Formats: sequence, C-alpha cells, structure tokens
Amino acid sequence: MAPGVGKTYEMLAAGRRRKLEGLDVAIGVVETHGRRETEALIDGLQVLPRSPIEYRGRQLMEFDLDGALRRRPSLLLVDEYAHTNAPGSRHPKRWQDVEELLAAGIDVDTTLNVQHLESLVDVVWKITGVRVRETVPDSALSAADEIEMVDITPKELLERLHAGKVYMAETARLASNHFFKPENLTALREMALRRAAQTVDDQLVGAMRRQGIEGPWAAGERILVLVAGDAMASSLVRAGRRLADQMGGPWVVAHVERPNQPPGDNQATRWLNEALKLAEQLGGSTVVLTGDDLPGAVLDYAGRNNVTQIIIGRSRERLWRTVAGRSLAQALLRRSDGAALHFVSGGAPDTPREPQAHPVAERGWRRWAGYVGGLLLVAIATGVAFVLDRYSTGGDLAMIFLASVLISGLAYGFRPALVASVLAMLSYNYFFLEPRFSLQIGHAADVFTFTIFFAVAAASGWLTGRVRDQARLASRRAAAVTALLAASRRLSGAANQEETARVLAEQASAAAGGRAAVLLPIDQDLVQVASAPGPVILTTAEMAAAHWAWERSEAAGAGTGTLPQLGWIFRPLVGVRGRAGVAGVEANAFAALGEERLVAAMLDQGAVALERAQLAAATVEHESLRRSDKLRAALLNSISHDLRTPLSTVLGSATTLIDYGATLKPEVSSDLLISIREEAERLSRYVGDLLDMTRLEGGALRTRTEWTDARDVLGVAIQRVERRLGQRRLTRDFPADLSVVQIDPGLLEQAVVNVLENAIAYSPDASTIDVAAYEDRSSVLISIEDEGPGIPRADIERIFEKFRRLEEPSDRMSNDRNKGAGLGLSIAKGFVEAMGGRIAAASPLLDGRGTRVLISLPKPPGGAAAAAKPSDP
Amino acid sequence: MTALRPLILVVDDDPQIHRFLAPALEAAGYEPVRADTAAAGLADIANRPPDAVILDLGLPDMDGKAALQRARAFYDGPVLILSARDREMEKIEALDLGAVDYVEKPFHVGELLARLRAALRQRLSHQGARAVVHAGDVEIDLVKRLVLRAGEPVRLSPREYELLARLVEAGGRVVTHRQLLTAVWGPANVDDVQYLRVFVGHLRQKLETDPAAPRFLVTDSGVGYRFVAD
Repeated sequence: MAPGVGKTYEMLAAGRRRKLEGLDVAIGVVETHGRRETEALIDGLQVLPRSPIEYRGRQLMEFDLDGALRRRPSLLLVDEYAHTNAPGSRHPKRWQDVEELLAAGIDVDTTLNVQHLESLVDVVWKITGVRVRETVPDSALSAADEIEMVDITPKELLERLHAGKVYMAETARLASNHFFKPENLTALREMALRRAAQTVDDQLVGAMRRQGIEGPWAAGERILVLVAGDAMASSLVRAGRRLADQMGGPWVVAHVERPNQPPGDNQATRWLNEALKLAEQLGGSTVVLTGDDLPGAVLDYAGRNNVTQIIIGRSRERLWRTVAGRSLAQALLRRSDGAALHFVSGGAPDTPREPQAHPVAERGWRRWAGYVGGLLLVAIATGVAFVLDRYSTGGDLAMIFLASVLISGLAYGFRPALVASVLAMLSYNYFFLEPRFSLQIGHAADVFTFTIFFAVAAASGWLTGRVRDQARLASRRAAAVTALLAASRRLSGAANQEETARVLAEQASAAAGGRAAVLLPIDQDLVQVASAPGPVILTTAEMAAAHWAWERSEAAGAGTGTLPQLGWIFRPLVGVRGRAGVAGVEANAFAALGEERLVAAMLDQGAVALERAQLAAATVEHESLRRSDKLRAALLNSISHDLRTPLSTVLGSATTLIDYGATLKPEVSSDLLISIREEAERLSRYVGDLLDMTRLEGGALRTRTEWTDARDVLGVAIQRVERRLGQRRLTRDFPADLSVVQIDPGLLEQAVVNVLENAIAYSPDASTIDVAAYEDRSSVLISIEDEGPGIPRADIERIFEKFRRLEEPSDRMSNDRNKGAGLGLSIAKGFVEAMGGRIAAASPLLDGRGTRVLISLPKPPGGAAAAAKPSDP
Repeated sequence: MTALRPLILVVDDDPQIHRFLAPALEAAGYEPVRADTAAAGLADIANRPPDAVILDLGLPDMDGKAALQRARAFYDGPVLILSARDREMEKIEALDLGAVDYVEKPFHVGELLARLRAALRQRLSHQGARAVVHAGDVEIDLVKRLVLRAGEPVRLSPREYELLARLVEAGGRVVTHRQLLTAVWGPANVDDVQYLRVFVGHLRQKLETDPAAPRFLVTDSGVGYRFVAD
C-alpha cells in the first residue's frame, strides 16, 4: 500500500517458504534498501546477477531479463513491479518484463504499492497531491493468480518511518509532498484493501460461474466513455475503467469524428491517440464513430450496443457551448432513454510529458507557413491597393483586402484566414482610411464601413477556411479509401510472396509517408524481403523488435510497450490462418489518427494477401514434388521395361537352344545366337546410357579436351551404328577443309551416336539419314537429318528431356526394339553442353516429315585453330 | 500332320519374343501363329480358333485384360498370360477373368512350355480323366474323395478336402485367392485371404514332408496357390 510497509520482506519470506517446500526459487531483483532483517532473508536464495546498462554516461544495474529466462527457475522473486527500466532496456517497464517471464512459464512473485495502479492515478493525485509516474496497468494486476495484502496501520508505518526503517531517498521525495500524512496513508490503505477485496470478489465470482452456480450477476452493465481531443481524455478513460471495475461490465471508449468539423491540431490528435491507447492498455475496447450529429451518433451506438452507462467530460474550455445551449450533456440528457449519464468535470493537469518522441516537424512548419502566407497575401493586397488607389476611390479597395482574406482561407484554413482578416483590417485602416498612416478613423461613416468590412472579412475567412478544411478532410478520407482500394487491387494481382511483400511495402510506405519494410519467415528465420522506397537496412535493435513482433504477434517499437525508443514500429501481419510476416513502418510517419488506421487496415489486407501467396507457393511446391515422384516412377518403369525386354529375349533364346538345340535347323540356331548378341548389346548400351546419365547428374563428368577434327569423330560414330541401319541409307556430306575444335572426342562421339540411334529408331526402313558437317565464322556445325514422322512443334523443346519417350503416344513407336530408354538425346545434350557447345532440333523439315538435330561446337577465337588445322583431310 | 499339332497363338508386340518362341514351340511339337497386336490376335482367334493362346499383357493397342475379356466372348480355350513383375494386379485380374496361368518375363522356355502343357492337359481332362493324382508319397483320389499318405488314409476336414481338390483339379495351374475363396467359402468371403493361409498351413502339416519348404502345395506370392503333382 505504501513504501515501508514491508512488502519486500514479505515476498522474501514467502519465497523461502516455497523453497523449503522444494521449489526452485531464485531472486531476479530485490531492493533491500540496506535493511538488515530483509537482507538476512536473502541468505540461501540464489540472486541472479544484474546486467549493466549504459545511460548518459552512467552505468545502471538493471534486472537481467534474458539471464532469468535462461536460468528458468520455477519461481522468480522480482521486487518493485512498477519500476521503470533504464532507457535502452527491452521493455520500458518492469511489469512488461514480468509479463514475458510469465509467458515463458516462470512463476513470479512481485511487490506493488497501490498508488502505482494506472486507474487510481487520478484518485491518488486528488487525495495526496502527488502525481505518480510509475504506473502499472490494471490488467497486469488482474492477471495475478494471488494477491497478498501487506498491511500495517498508518500509525505503525509512521513509527517505522521515524525509527528510520523506511528507505530514505524515496521517503524524502514523497515527504516533501506531505505524502506521509496519516489521512493520506489511511486513504491509500482503504484503496488497497478495496482493491484486494475486489480481486477476491472477482475470483469468487469467476469460480461460481465456472461451477455453474446461479447468482445475482451484475445485470449486463456496459459502459461507454466519450472522449475528444482534449486534455481530460485520459482522465475520462481512467474513470471509465474504474466504473467498469465496480460494475463488472465491459467498457468502450468512443471518439466521434464529425465530417463538418475541422480536424484538431497535432496536440488534440496526440491527446486522442494517447487516450485510445490508454484505453486499450487498461483493457477497454475503442471505437471511432462518424456523424455530424454528435449526440445522435453517440445514442445510436449506445442503443445498438445496449450501453447502460455513458461517461462524458465537462471541460471548462467548452463552457461557451453550454451558454449557447448546445451542450452535449444537455442534448444527451434530453434525448437518451435508459442510459445513465456520468459527468467528469475539470481537467486534471496532465502528467508532465516527455518531449514528443516523434515531433511532426514538417506539419508544424506547414502550419506556420499558413500564417506567413496569409501575411504575404495581405501585403500583396496592400500593394495592389496602392496601385489601384491612384485610379479609384476607397470603397473598392476593401474588396481587394477581402479577396486576400478569402484566398488565405481557401489556401491555409480558417485560423490563418482569421489572422489574415485582422491584418487586412489593420492594413486597410492604416494605409487607406483617412487619416492615412494612422489607426485612427476620421469619419463616423468610415467607422461603420470599417466595422462591416471587418465582420464580412472575418466571416468569409472563417467560412472559406472551413470549406477548405472540410474539403481536405473529405479528400484525405477519399485518398485513404482510394489507397486501400488500390492496395487491395495491387495485392490481389501479386503473383507470389515476394511480389506481395514488395507491393505491401510500397503501399504502406505511400500511406504512411515514410519508409516501410516487410519481413517474412524463411527457413525458421525472419528475413527482410521488401522495402520502400529504396533499400532499407534495419539495425540490430530494429530487427530485435521485428522478431518480438513476430514471436509475440503484437506490435513492437515506437509507441508500443516493447523497445519504444526505436524510430520504427513493427506490426505482425496476422491473417486468417495465423502469422504471415511482420511489417515495419517508420514511426514519424504516423502523424494523424486516420493515417495510422489506414496503415493498419492496409497491413491487414497485406497479411491476407501474403497468406494467399504462401498457400499458392505451398501448392506449387506440392505439385513439383508430385511431378518429381512421377519422374521417379517413370525412371523405374523405364528401367524395368528396358532391362527386362532384352533379358527376356536372351533368356528365352538361350533356353530354347539348350532345350531344343538338337532338333533346331542350323539357321534357326544361329539366328537365335545372333538375337542373343544383339539384345546383349542393347542391354550394354542401355546400362552405358544410365551410367552416362548418372555421371552428368552427379556432376562427375570430366571433359578431356583436345584439338579434334569433327569428321574423324563422325566417321567412328557412323561405324558404330552401321549395323543397326538395316534398310536405311546414310549419306555423308563433309567439306574438304574443316577447322579443328577443342573438344572431348569421346563425349562428342557418344553424343553423335545417340542422335544417330534416335534418327534410326524414329525413321522408317528404306529412308535416308543425312549426316553433314560445315562451319560458319564462330562454330563448327554437325547436322543429322532423318525422314521420320517429325516432332510436333509444341514438343520440340522437350525432346531433350529425360525419359521423354515415355510420354509419347505408343502408336508412334514404329520399331520399338531400336529405341533406347529415352535418355539418348538428353545425354547428347548434356555432353555437348559440357563441351561448351549447343544442340537444337528442328522439325518438321519437308512435307510435314523429318527431323534435323544440329550440334554446334564453338571455334576458339584467334589463330590457334588455324595453326592446328590439318593440311589435308 | 498339321491336325495333330496343337495350334498355339502368340500375341506379343516384341518381335524378339517371336524370334525365339516360334522355333521353340515348333521344336516342342506345336504350330505357332504370330500376332503383333491385340487386334490381330483377336482376328486370328475368330478366324481359326487355336488350342491355346499365349497373351502378353503389355500390348501397344489394347490393355491385355480387355483383350482377354473380348476373346472370352467367343473363345473358351486356355489363355496363358505373359506379364512383367510390376503388373501384379493386371495379372491377377486376368487370372480371375479366366486366364489359366501366367509366366513372368524374363522366363525360361522350358517353364513356359510346361505351363502350356498343363493348360492343354486341363482342357483334355474335361472329358474325364486323371481321377487319381500322385505327388511324392501322397495319393489323392478325387472320385473316392480319399487322400492317402504312404498308403495310410489322411483325415481332412471337409473344407481342407475341398481346398485340396480345387488345387488338384487345376492340374498344376495356379488358382487365385479369389477363385479358391469363392469355390470353398462362397462369394461372400472373397477377400478373406487369411482363411486360405490357415487351411493351406493345415494341409501342408498333413501332407508335406517339410511343411516349411512345401513341394506340392506351392505359393505364388500375391496371386494364389498351385498343386505340383509328379
């Protein structure tokens, strides 16, 4: 309840008891403040070392969160729940450290003074005059499994204080604020007791509910808190939380945006953003309503959502509205039925704020630019009036000033327009109304004219300014909607994950007006895959925040509870099925409420789009796996067929000869022997093909290049296939003179043999196969043409694929026994390319028939070839 | 002369098979007829019904099974299947469709001719022959429903006898699981192959010298059983 009551002592004593029960207890951090009886309790408990953090040249010893996570005790004692960590720590607050510990499955005992509770800050301030800065959200307390109230009477505490048993530095600060007055302590004690009782109550109610016990439950109270962009917004939110706690109902914080109202300035936006954020921290939900008729919009929402309690603020600055009979409170009172109204009056002075983390420099400059612009316009109007003054009378000149005010209004908004109207009035009076060059007005009539002029100027300036502001608000909304639509269209058009990420980064960057990056999980790691505009290199700390956002599925970085000192904010991209990635946006880009929401909406779209892309990628992967399975099946099929067929012949012929050799005619016997040899050769070729393929695939192919005459190689290759030609004719067309090329003759020979065998297999008997060699400037070319049925144009690229043959319709297999395993052309391609050459096929050649395979081998540049050229072929 | 030589139709798309099978069949006293496609084979069967057909299942123009089904419409002679090991299902389906036996490629010609002889003998035995079958020291009399081992009667349960009789009647040809189950247990039990395992085990215990290495009641893995007589 207050410093000095003995919280730390109590925590340590409880920790020791748990240790005696056999639990693994460690001390994460404890502040004994030199009290001996407290220090004595530490004995026998392991104290984790703290980690040093550098801050403004000083080294602060802070609680080592990572050390504790590594140590993993069953119970960790962490003193001072409300402690603010040194800047640069992972979390700004210790209660966030505790949250992480709990999430990691480590039980934590901690200590807390009641005045540090977020929702009680205002009350404490009112009672004691002390504004507590170190606060803990109420939700953090609600999450506690057990609360132990450490309570002594105020009198006893004061006695301990006087006896010097209470930590002095803190005491001194608080004492100066008359904190330790008996009535203050009594109030704090009462608050603490009530709070503890309430928690006990909640637990009881929860238990009864779980066990299905009937009871008088709080009758569905729902609380609506209305906030505007003013100083008391946060106080209203806290009041809402307190009322919600007492009534045990859900609560909503609403802000009404009015299309015909100018948007508030930066300060107002900030107040509003803070209040909405605070509401979320305190466990409430938030909603932004839109409507011209403020009470109407509120009551409509309240009616639809069964709101029973409405909290509104009555700030002094809006008092004139009450006078004008336009009080929101009155309107609500008049029109609401059912809902109770709570008024919170006065604005509690806001906590002294840290300098804004991300000042919106550009916007500030632009605002002043409006006033400067107004001034310039009035100056120009004055100049023009001087010129016109020579030709006309004073009455018309007023119009020129009026014009300058109107233009100010249109260009810069209504505030600059009002300033411009004052300037215009002064200038007009000073320069043009008699007596000139003074602010006095000579004629009574002029006073009248002047007054009217001012009224008209001010009114028209105000009106045009409002028109302009509304137009800008409307166009900003339209722009947001357009941007969302455009993003949605572009995201849906993205073909894959990477493109989706790139589009998302671009759209988020454009919407936020700053840099953006998208990170995706790749191989168990978070990798930046896209950024805009241009490349973005994230620092280690920024990456840490990104990882945090990924692992916890919550935002990290600027303006959040994790690593808030960063210039970036990282948000998890959560789609329908879970996390898809993380998006980072530079925080100073978030200026207006609308833009932040726009970016958030965009990221939601992006998450779904990413998810879709990831699903599509998984489908493709599955498909390619399926295809590789199919290929493996084809390989198996091919091997079983192509090995067994020749084996059948060999075995069948051999056993025929063994069983019936004596009775067979000699020519039949020799034919069987020949078929055995042929089929054995076929098997041998096939096994050779498989070995070649294995060498190519395994990368074990070594080329031994030498200066080679392609004609020699062709001659050997033709010899090798000659016996299989059957009735086919083979023609050779070799030039008398051919450049030598630096190739592996063995590989070329096998490649040519494979192409020739293919030509034989796919051409009819008694057809012609033409083999030709020639050269152009850069290569030696070998052409092999057959008169077979040709290859459909669509398949021409695929004939060099492995096991290509298997996918052909079987009726094209005219003479099956000549065919290889469908590896021949694939191997030829592999060999030719290994030597730096190229192989291509063309079909059909003539009358829709015939295939030509062209092998080109590069000639070496320079004269080496010429020098090595044989003089006579 | 030709009338005495049984006509054997060989349907296979691989010319190399015909190259050695034709002389082998001739040498064994048959008259071989060559067909390279299922269509040609069916035409041959229709024009000049052979005594037996050797049918390759891997034909280019028609599934071997489909060819068999069509042939069965007008031909009831024995059909011997040539098949590859990886076409297990097709083989079994062909047997269930009425093929008498099968030979796996690559094969010994002697084995093929032995199966062919069994198939042809089966066709002749329809006219009523071979009531008593000998296998080692086992004698099976299908007329008297009597099983003797070394001259002593062997006690078999009715189911065991039915099973043995079906196998013996097949005359050395394979009988598929489905055929055996349908014949002995009825059509409702065609999938209960485990019955067969148990009963064949019993039969082996009672008839085989070494039940673990059976000589008469032979398993054709995944297909069925065959009874190998002397």
